[in-house]
Amino acid sequence: MSARREQILPEVPSLTSLYGQAVARSARLMVRRPGPIVARLPEIAYRVDDVRVDQSQLAAYQHLLGEAGTDTLPAGYVHVLGFPVAMAVMAREDFPLPLMGMVHVANHVEQRHPVHAQDVLTVRAWAQNLRAHRSGTQVDLVTEVGQADGLDVLWRGVSTYLAKGKPLKGLALVEAADGSRPAGGRDPEAPLPAVTANWKLGASTGRRYADVSGDRNPIHLTSLSAKLFGFSKAIAHGMYTASRALAAVGPARGDTFAWDVEFAKPVLLPGQVALNLTPTEGGTDYLGWDPRSGKVHFSGSVRPLP
Amino acid sequence: MPSNSSPRRAAVIGSNRIPFGKAGGAYANATNLDMLGAALSGLVARFQLQGERLGDVAGGAVLKHSRDFNMTREAVLGSALSPQTPAFDVQRACGTSLETVTAIANKIALGQIDSGIAAGVDSTSDAPIVVSDRLRRTLIKLSRAKTLPDRLKLVASIRPGDLAPVAPDVAEPRTGLSMGEHQALTTLKWKITREAQDEIALASHKNLAQAYEDGLFDDLITPYRGLVRDESLRSDTSAEKLAKLKPVFGKGLGEGVATMTAGNSTPLSDGAATVLLGTDEWAAERGLPVLAHVVDAEAAAVDFVRGEEGLLMGGAYAVPRLLHRNKLVLADFDFIEIHEAFASTVLTTTAAWADEKFMVSKVGLPPLGRLNPAVLNVAGSSLAAGHPFGATGARIVGTLATLLSRAKQSRPDGGPVRGLISVCAAGGQAVAMILEAA
Repeated sequence: MSARREQILPEVPSLTSLYGQAVARSARLMVRRPGPIVARLPEIAYRVDDVRVDQSQLAAYQHLLGEAGTDTLPAGYVHVLGFPVAMAVMAREDFPLPLMGMVHVANHVEQRHPVHAQDVLTVRAWAQNLRAHRSGTQVDLVTEVGQADGLDVLWRGVSTYLAKGKPLKGLALVEAADGSRPAGGRDPEAPLPAVTANWKLGASTGRRYADVSGDRNPIHLTSLSAKLFGFSKAIAHGMYTASRALAAVGPARGDTFAWDVEFAKPVLLPGQVALNLTPTEGGTDYLGWDPRSGKVHFSGSVRPLP
Repeated sequence: MPSNSSPRRAAVIGSNRIPFGKAGGAYANATNLDMLGAALSGLVARFQLQGERLGDVAGGAVLKHSRDFNMTREAVLGSALSPQTPAFDVQRACGTSLETVTAIANKIALGQIDSGIAAGVDSTSDAPIVVSDRLRRTLIKLSRAKTLPDRLKLVASIRPGDLAPVAPDVAEPRTGLSMGEHQALTTLKWKITREAQDEIALASHKNLAQAYEDGLFDDLITPYRGLVRDESLRSDTSAEKLAKLKPVFGKGLGEGVATMTAGNSTPLSDGAATVLLGTDEWAAERGLPVLAHVVDAEAAAVDFVRGEEGLLMGGAYAVPRLLHRNKLVLADFDFIEIHEAFASTVLTTTAAWADEKFMVSKVGLPPLGRLNPAVLNVAGSSLAAGHPFGATGARIVGTLATLLSRAKQSRPDGGPVRGLISVCAAGGQAVAMILEAA
């Protein structure tokens, strides 16, 4: 891997202004066709120091997601803390994929040590592993969260995004050797398991998660704003669904764990999600689907760290 | 009491409840406090406790207004008991008043008190409706705001959507599934048939109606607001009528597998029940009878959140552990009371007791064997009587103690006459108790 330059940002960027920039950039790209896009990621990592937890935002997050109101940050909340830094990488002019058109397809989190509400944190984020995919181009956004005065990474997240369309030129097609679905994926033909929970998600679900996460991507807010981006209705944030599944697993997950999710069909709002939790050797697998159509929305697992 | 002996056993002296009403029925305008007060006053009158300072009173409700934070003490203050009688509130979902009986019995057994009342109440007609979290938080901030501009700013922040009231529902907070939906999954897993469930429901109505005819409740119930019998009781129901009802739970589980109807599921109810407990000496001093003694109790809980066990299967764990500790088997009981949250709860619980694989692998105890249906819910249970959540345990203790006392009188030279209670509760819980005729 090439050496990445580290650039320190004075504070965690505002997601709202990043979305504003991204929308403006998409509009510019529509008006003025750019030259050939270089299939190369910016060789930079953004770092923000002295990141502190807003206690009232943490409480609101815990209440909305069904997490216990402790002083230990839920792994999904650490994602919320670090997400704007990763977004800032994707919003750069030299980022080769259009931010507004990208789909969050998978997320991997390692909670290596508990993160506490009083911790002063450092967040680092960069993009890596740009690769061609059957239906477009994929990229991983890596976020690491550590204590400001320590070298240890407490939390590490890898978010995989897909930009649909023709893969960028010059990228190798990275797929499983046998061309089948990625490791950990679910056989789409397998019968649905028993229901362990049923989420009734109101039309305001996206707005409520936006309130606690700061992620006001218009596709999640109202059906009108979602329509502008090609969705028939507002869709739930993928990380909202994954984080609720994590909360449902509860303390059985332990203090440290690996938390994986793969997103399939988006959850249209309002709507219902049937959830299954299946205890496995040392962990829990979860699956969310539409109880009416049987179509899978997401699948994942919470496992002890190796 | 000598300090080196095992604790004395608390005596069940008597009980009193009001007839249970249907949601929105006879008690539509009665509050939890009203109903608890009515049941308590009936008990005080029946046992001439006017002016008595009792050791303690434990009561509780599942759906409770925040203004009722001290509900049981308020009920005591509104009764003819001495105002010096202390009281406290308890909540263990549908096991609430089996838990209050346990609490009072334990205090008596330990010698801390020599008399007490255990009670429970619930109203689904007068359930607390609350405002949305956003509005509630804004109103709290508003009450703390010091300046007019601050207040106006807060008022302006209220959105129309914040004004929608929020009613409580019987869904489990962690799963979003109602109890019926949860039990439908368990029913399917244990392959319980519609016919078996309807049979339980029919027996409940027939047995409760017969018990009224036999005068069993003459000394157990005080009429209230025009009700003299439980409002849900249908003495004229039949297997045919029950078979006609359409399934209401489990409809999403596949073609033709839904078996739970309004007939074999408990109706939403209003009501209150009380039990008078004390030492044998306390009862004797006042010329009061002793019907039975509280032998032991056990609470259990299961992991339903991750789907490892059915929500209402706690009784499949509580009862085997309780019997094991007391070196008893099912055949040692003349009466077995299993709360009919749903007819299928009774069937899945008893099926689990008899299932060797389940018992050994999940409970870690030998199977209990088959239940003799002739000893099950002989005076009817919640399907016919109704199920005001907090009141059910006290209803069962009062009824069972009377049944035990009558059975003992009919064979005075026989061995011990025992009764077993199992009540499942929200949150994957259950409470079980053993009573023995005095």
